[in-house]
Amino acid sequence: MDRRRVAITGIGLVSPYGGDLPDFFARLVAGESAIHHLLTDDLPRPLSIPFVACPGFDPDSVLGKPLAAMMDRFAQLGMAAAFAAWDDCGLPRRPDGESRDDWGVAWGTALGGTLAYENGYRELWQKGRERLSPLTVVLGMNNAANAHISIQFGLGGVSMSHTVACASSAIAIGEAFRRVRSGEATVMVSGGSDVPQAYAVARAWEALRVLAPGDGETSPAACRPFAADRRGLVLGEGGAALVLEDWDHALARGARIHGEIVGYGTTCDHSHLVRPEAAGQIRALGATLADAGLTPADIDYVNAHGTATAEGDPVEIAALLAVFGDLAGGLPVSATKSMHGHLLGAAGAIEAIATVLVLREQVIPPTINLAGNLDPACAGVDHVTSARRDRPLRVALSNSFAFGGSNAALAFRAVNR
Amino acid sequence: MASIDLIREFLQDRLGVEPEKVVPPALLADLGVDSLMMLELMFAFEDRFGITLARGLKTPRTVGDMAALMDGLIAGQNT
Repeated sequence: MDRRRVAITGIGLVSPYGGDLPDFFARLVAGESAIHHLLTDDLPRPLSIPFVACPGFDPDSVLGKPLAAMMDRFAQLGMAAAFAAWDDCGLPRRPDGESRDDWGVAWGTALGGTLAYENGYRELWQKGRERLSPLTVVLGMNNAANAHISIQFGLGGVSMSHTVACASSAIAIGEAFRRVRSGEATVMVSGGSDVPQAYAVARAWEALRVLAPGDGETSPAACRPFAADRRGLVLGEGGAALVLEDWDHALARGARIHGEIVGYGTTCDHSHLVRPEAAGQIRALGATLADAGLTPADIDYVNAHGTATAEGDPVEIAALLAVFGDLAGGLPVSATKSMHGHLLGAAGAIEAIATVLVLREQVIPPTINLAGNLDPACAGVDHVTSARRDRPLRVALSNSFAFGGSNAALAFRAVNR
Repeated sequence: MASIDLIREFLQDRLGVEPEKVVPPALLADLGVDSLMMLELMFAFEDRFGITLARGLKTPRTVGDMAALMDGLIAGQNT
């Protein structure tokens, strides 16, 4: 089969730190937490959880009022991230002669427009109103983000969303990668966005007893992947996007190439809805390496799924130990979720961005709150607990493991410059 | 509040349209009101005045059409 190389030519996100992309990565490298305490005025009981929000995000100014009015917040975050990635890739926002009929979007979102429907329930059940805004349908539909992105950039090929819980956007990126590699699409916008602060969603996650507790003082250090005293995950809202492009097309137009995506594998544990199993993750990692034509010895860094749940973290390490064997002890691993939290359907995308920037900037951001505090059950790999730039970084993996048992891993390669 | 002021308020709030552009001859489409936003405008109107518009209502094309439609319905409601 004719396989094309796939360049990453655009990167964009709505940063939980409020700044731009370089600022986002600099803060990750510095080990700075974006987690704060979220206290709402919800009835009957406010949300009071550590959370990662994008408080500086102003949809009206970023998108313009008419566009922002047509979107729920998940689509606003997604569209804003996509605009940033698209502007970064250097292509004009509107088609300018070259056909975009085979260009497309593969988006990831776990919750889609849940917030729009939740607002509807509030209107009906709390405020006693008898009807809803007619825009609710287009705000709430789960494919709203990808549809808006296709419209804004004039992309005439596939436009779809993937809902695979915490692996949604990793799988979206992988599927987009395959379409460009096969030649079906010249350019694909991929990424994800989610808004887990919907009241019923956050309450449901609390009920599952997997959310880390925290108050105004302790929230920034609430997420402690692989640590002995980890208490669970921290939810966050956000949007993150990448532009994947046919390598030759990117070269021909003189685009800046941030990195290369070289492999993708996805599997299902097919055993339990929420208890992860190393076997399924091992198969996903193996499939990704095989897809990329790589061996474990080629891998210089792994951005872990690392959510900081009691059950998940040791299983991920067990999978890495099985795949990397004797090499595992020298395999640098970090979980950036310790700082940017768990963005659910946007998690794979924000971590893919972090991984591409690791290779571009040749520096590994740490897992914070872990130094001197490692759970023996999570030992065996080289946990990076402070920024590291001691060796060349050529190839890296990003792991995403979802409720439902779906696993995905993406492989990226640094570009020589 | 006069109907045209309500239209101005809505278009400024939802679409960022400058109020001085909302004049009777202006085409609603030119101000950014597509079919979806028209539904939303009707909904806001119904909500404000506690009425329900007939389903078969002719869709207004201009700001003046819209204001006249609203004035008529409000007058009918008050008699």
